[in-house]
Amino acid sequence: MASARISGEAGTRKLLLGNEAIARGAVEAGISAATAYPGTPSTEIVEALAEVAEEYGFYVEWSTNEKVALEVAIGVSMMGLRALTAMKHVGLNVASDPLMSLGYTGVVGGLVIVTADDPNAHSSQNEQDNRIYGMHAYIPVFEPSGVQEAKDMTRELFDLSEKYSTAVLLRTTTRLSHSRGEVVFGEVAGLNREARFHKDPERWALLPPYSLKKHREALERVEKLREGLGGWRFNWFVEGAGDTLVVSAGVAHMYVAEALEALGVKPPLLKISSVYPLPGRLVEKALEFSRIVVVEELEPVVEHQLRVAASEAGKTPKIVGKELFPRVGELNAQLVALGLAKVLGVRYEPLQGPSAGVELPPRPPTLCPGCGHRSAYYAVKLAAMRARTNPVWANDIGCYTLGFYPPFRMADFTWSMGSALGIGMGISRFSKEPVVAFIGDSTFFHAGVPGLINAVYNRYPIVVVVMDNEITAMTGHQPHPGSGVGPLGEPRPRVSIEEIAKACGVEFVEVVPAYDVWRLRDATERAIRYVREKGLPAVVVARQRCALVELREKRRKGEKPTLYRVVEEKCIGCGVCVDRFACPAIVREGKVAKILPELCVGCGVCATICPAKAIVPVGEEA
Amino acid sequence: MRPKSIVIAGVGGQGLLTMGSLLGEALLEQGYKVCVGEVHGLSQRGGSVVVFVKYAEYQPSPVVAPGEGDVLVGLELIEAARRLPLLSRSGLAVVNNFLLPPPAAERVPSREELVTSIGKAVRSVFVEALPLAKKAGSSVAVNMVMLGALAACGVAGVSLETVRSVVAARFRGAAGEVNLRALELGYEEALKKLGEEVQG
Repeated sequence: MASARISGEAGTRKLLLGNEAIARGAVEAGISAATAYPGTPSTEIVEALAEVAEEYGFYVEWSTNEKVALEVAIGVSMMGLRALTAMKHVGLNVASDPLMSLGYTGVVGGLVIVTADDPNAHSSQNEQDNRIYGMHAYIPVFEPSGVQEAKDMTRELFDLSEKYSTAVLLRTTTRLSHSRGEVVFGEVAGLNREARFHKDPERWALLPPYSLKKHREALERVEKLREGLGGWRFNWFVEGAGDTLVVSAGVAHMYVAEALEALGVKPPLLKISSVYPLPGRLVEKALEFSRIVVVEELEPVVEHQLRVAASEAGKTPKIVGKELFPRVGELNAQLVALGLAKVLGVRYEPLQGPSAGVELPPRPPTLCPGCGHRSAYYAVKLAAMRARTNPVWANDIGCYTLGFYPPFRMADFTWSMGSALGIGMGISRFSKEPVVAFIGDSTFFHAGVPGLINAVYNRYPIVVVVMDNEITAMTGHQPHPGSGVGPLGEPRPRVSIEEIAKACGVEFVEVVPAYDVWRLRDATERAIRYVREKGLPAVVVARQRCALVELREKRRKGEKPTLYRVVEEKCIGCGVCVDRFACPAIVREGKVAKILPELCVGCGVCATICPAKAIVPVGEEA
Repeated sequence: MRPKSIVIAGVGGQGLLTMGSLLGEALLEQGYKVCVGEVHGLSQRGGSVVVFVKYAEYQPSPVVAPGEGDVLVGLELIEAARRLPLLSRSGLAVVNNFLLPPPAAERVPSREELVTSIGKAVRSVFVEALPLAKKAGSSVAVNMVMLGALAACGVAGVSLETVRSVVAARFRGAAGEVNLRALELGYEEALKKLGEEVQG
């Protein structure tokens, strides 16, 4: 990807991702800091900001988790400066503790919290609708419908945040975050603010005597917003024919536009971008219609607010929404057209595409060729067999979650960040079989450490295998405290996972290269035996830098890896490499295995595990 | 006007996102409003990936629903077949004649079976992109060959000229040269195939 994708003069036009557009908006608003823990679909926001941090003079960090990221941003705001923090929807769960109090205190410097929701759970454990968090925390929620609007709105939300002294939630979804559209750049605000700590202990120290007062203030702030947002330029009415009003929020607005085009009708429209609180004046206008159709993804957030408003105003329009549009999964123009056709009384036949009429094998995501997680799983499975155990496989969130799929099937559960340890401990207290918990390096720093301390303190018999690839890989290789570099690759202190484990009081700590299958197998077997005998936790760090990072580095340096090949005469067709190791670079060809040179990265682990010693480096004799 | 849509289907790692954003830039240069819908995450490589490129006179939405696609660009046969229902019955499939079975898959249809059934279902052009990419200088340039082939088909709203200019602007040096060569080779190959179709 070209560097500095969001750098440019006012008037520059670029095809940007929704996330990059949000980042550009923050640059134009004159932020002083941006913080995040990476998570799909939010990652590119702070990634894009990091590229231009020096050019525009602001601070960027990858934080250890979302709670820390939000807290740092709050601190910056208390200095009177503008800050953005971005996270995926479930990240806001982690940051929800400071968030709930932030609704009470409000802010000084503009503070925008981006929550990137994932309708359809494309790459998440659930599809929670974080607009509800705004209601819960008295923090207003805004939803752009397109890429240019995402940029413009982000910029203006910083002004709005300061005008009302409140943090704001900017809610995007996968389809906006990961869609590209044209963006016209605006001026970058030259704020030149002096950083000053706004000392106000009665406001910032959330102690009982002040909390009720602040609760009242939070409610007043919401009411002020309800009034003030009526004329906000990102909410608008479009006149139309008939007495049915179509209300849309966020990306759904684009689906509505396309659906109405397909249906050939032009009902009146209300496009809402301030989804909580709903703008009072526009709600009043909406309630004049005899029928209101609300089109929004996931939860009926706008729909329910309209129902309450109607009831409070003593109006009785027929309000429909979730009975027409699914609450599960995401929308598209066709689903919206189907629903609107029903309520508007027009005919609509959804299109049907052709079919190849062939049964197709599924293609689940796989660990890459050369991935250290593959050899680690292979080794740990062998260790369990040798220790004659059938462990409960506790798993966590990262690339290694793919251990769920065959042939490994080594994820009996995955939950939320760090849960392999937490839930694993609960199981291990009562399980006859040992619990083996897999957790990634980044996840270990994010939420694993408190669990590990609990395991030591409360004496849990759990084997913790840290799947360490020295980077946050799944989200696209963001550095973390164990990477030894900062957001732009600059040197940083390296926090050691094994030293943390030892400092927590774990007595069994071993570090093994993940490609070294036999050593890792033996270390894990010892760990299983140790846990069984002592009833205490053991940590094995399986370390191998992400294969994609290695490959890119080699390409940059112009180095060619030595690839491997199968010596056909020696291959006994046992299938260990294809069926049990399952490297995507190895396929069956007739009765023997074959290594695809386009995919092989030369890790050589297959040569280690081949029982017939039939795999050798290319260029070497068998 | 209903937005036009191009569906790019393939396997993670084949350069689908790059292809999608280049196509988006080319369409932008030709004066359309564009939306390129991607899905990231879960797996860096090896999964089934689809990218939507939509363009119109007004801002199109990010998703292509079944039956809506005007063109399907398949970088791999199984994935092309998988996304075929997104294509309109009168749409065109431009497909790389390349089969990559999923690791440890049990039943994999043959290359011939896939080519025949895709060809039967819709109007299609099959391109041998891998040898052409290698000829251009890198097996990684398969996506560029297919981008060139798409430009030749004349239904995707982009000319070879525009595609060439966005590719030249994105890639410099040796990589740029390889990509431009791959683009040309794909363009010529598809033109040849289309010519055969007209004659045949």
